[in-house]
Amino acid sequence: MEIPYNSTARPDTGLYNGKVGIWLFLASEIMLFGAVFSGYVLLRVGADPGIWSMGLMNKWVGAFNTLILIASSATIVLAWVSLKLKDWAGYRKWKIATVIFASLFLIVKWSYEWPAKFTHYDITFKSDEKAVEVFSDPDFLGKDYEAKLKEVWHKRFDRDEKDWDKVDLKDKPLDGHIVGYYTKNDDGTEEHHPVGEAFGLSFWSHALAWRYDERNEGRVTGAKRDTFLKRGIVAIDFEPAHGTWPAPRHAHAGAIRYAELKGGSKHDGDDHSAHHHSLRIEKSQISRLSSYEPAHSTFFATYYTLTGLHALHVFGGILVMLYHLLPVSRRVYEADPERFTNRIEITGLFWHFVDLVWIFLFPILYLL
Amino acid sequence: MPMADNHSPEYYKGPFKRIIWIVGAILIAGTIASFTVDYIYAEELTFKQALYFGLGIACIKATAVILYFMHLLWDIKFKTISLTLASTVLFFIGMMWLTVGSEVDSVKPGQDDTTWLHGAQKDIKFKGDKSPADPTQTQ
Repeated sequence: MEIPYNSTARPDTGLYNGKVGIWLFLASEIMLFGAVFSGYVLLRVGADPGIWSMGLMNKWVGAFNTLILIASSATIVLAWVSLKLKDWAGYRKWKIATVIFASLFLIVKWSYEWPAKFTHYDITFKSDEKAVEVFSDPDFLGKDYEAKLKEVWHKRFDRDEKDWDKVDLKDKPLDGHIVGYYTKNDDGTEEHHPVGEAFGLSFWSHALAWRYDERNEGRVTGAKRDTFLKRGIVAIDFEPAHGTWPAPRHAHAGAIRYAELKGGSKHDGDDHSAHHHSLRIEKSQISRLSSYEPAHSTFFATYYTLTGLHALHVFGGILVMLYHLLPVSRRVYEADPERFTNRIEITGLFWHFVDLVWIFLFPILYLL
Repeated sequence: MPMADNHSPEYYKGPFKRIIWIVGAILIAGTIASFTVDYIYAEELTFKQALYFGLGIACIKATAVILYFMHLLWDIKFKTISLTLASTVLFFIGMMWLTVGSEVDSVKPGQDDTTWLHGAQKDIKFKGDKSPADPTQTQ
């Protein structure tokens, strides 16, 4: 059966049917992303101080991925133009380039950016006194901890410097990486367990999405998903994140310097050459420990929803583009070049929409 | 009735390819500008300034993509597309307005909840008095 107006324009609309279809689809996509964006606005405007952790996003990665998507948007137009000029080889070249750029975007997102967040932790403390114990450690921030903490706080949560007094010291998080932990044997002695990189990659750690919440103590159901309770952890070696916290003044006498022995590492955050020594933090000092997983806060729940939904669109686009490179697509092109060219045009329209969404996601998630 | 896409091969070979490179350059320049300004002036810029700058650049980039990469500059003449888009944009603006508009009167973190204080009660309590509202005191 011949489907009409696949390669020629319909007299009443002036367009081939696929083009009408893709614009209707894009309209529904605008509504979908519009709902998510308006949810973002609502949650951000109503967020309590100390929730919207925009200052920790890696702007370099965000900018790199933006440039990749822009490049893919240009190459997909060039692929379509090649078909308009009846140049199959040119089409293949630009289409493959588009798939490579799109795949690179997902590789950066799913193998670096997200895992680095699942191995990056925030700790909040049981009381202001316990927080002072940790922050004022002579090998960490020392006596003038408040000034340094304030600087980090403003960069991370409070660009306009209005909210410092609204959040207790105990709720001002210390962020970093778990490089070891301690358990207690039956005879009362402690055992140290180093936690290292996974797969030999500095941004992957064996401490992936660990959790502790003091409210889980004594609970049966909560304890199952609580890493501290499950492993019997009594303390951790915690390395404050590079680029966020100032370098220590001198080496820590007691803590295991696992991170330093491994030569230090670059993490999700700005790259700084200064190495941190790990701090020993007792479970009794911690109120909550969470990686930057969706359950961490409203900010990260929103971040994963927005970037995850967008990444699924990128993934879907890659599948369609790969299909258009298969021999079966070549046969369609040879049978009806105009029809195939139209297919590539509507794929391109979808792809530009994916690019458009990212154009707005970049500033609202990484820069603001 | 206009028909879709009737440019000549010469147009695609020459001017249109140039347009693609120019739009690509605008997009790259916009990305670098928003990144650089935020990176260098992060501490000097207020949130509002960063918001206007970041979203301003994003709007310029989005316009370039929509007009040239998505061919809307040429396709806007088709009512099927323009009406679909216009109604979608109206819907989008309405949805955003509902969200943002609902926030105008809502109680922000750290603010006093005066939801259940009405008329004179509200006026009396806050005339020259910035202390937190207590409904039981105004009876």
